[in-house]
Amino acid sequence: MFEYRQAEEVRDAFARHSVRYLFLGKSGAILLGFPDTTQDADVYVEKSRQNGEALVAALVELGFELNTQQQAEIVAGKDFVQLKNGPFDLDLIFAPDGIERFEDAWARRVEVQGFMVCAIDDIIASKAAANRTKDRESLSRLISFREYLKTQGS
Amino acid sequence: MSSKTATIPADLLAEFEAAAKRPLAQRWKYAFIKTYKPVMDDEKFRAFDSMADYRRWCEENLPRFLGYHRSEE
Repeated sequence: MFEYRQAEEVRDAFARHSVRYLFLGKSGAILLGFPDTTQDADVYVEKSRQNGEALVAALVELGFELNTQQQAEIVAGKDFVQLKNGPFDLDLIFAPDGIERFEDAWARRVEVQGFMVCAIDDIIASKAAANRTKDRESLSRLISFREYLKTQGS
Repeated sequence: MSSKTATIPADLLAEFEAAAKRPLAQRWKYAFIKTYKPVMDDEKFRAFDSMADYRRWCEENLPRFLGYHRSEE
């Protein structure tokens, strides 16, 4: 289970280590106010050596057990890293489907109580591009949620 | 319903409005669930060079009911 207290710890550790990240996927949408359930927290991370090293330092501080090789793979910026060796599960995505560049997503980001979150347009674009069964199931609800956010001035 | 929200199905609009009234910590608590996912949860660490590699691995290894296969729609 990924408790809110742990999400705050991620937010604070990433801030302390100046990690450039954005919550993506359903976990990002939930931060924006989308009512749904998920099992995974997806974090879009800027692919650079400096950011990778900061990310590893933050993850170790959070309690993830990463050996030297695993740390090197994160620093190298593998496109997708799945972590189930810490206090909660976390997916690190360095090159999500449907989003061209981290810089562009960063410019469009939404900050929610200190959490850095992808814009709803990027969350929808990445789910549409991934086009998995589980993405298709939530896509129409997410599109309605985007309409709702517009009515709220977001 | 206002004209601004007319395109949103009424049941979804009600859900969105109810969620907006909840504090973030409560929304998070309701949102995260954990159930065992066969194969997916059986390794502590996986890294893929590309998203295409990851998608291929999901297609070839995960049970279809988990929803990680490409949609045929």
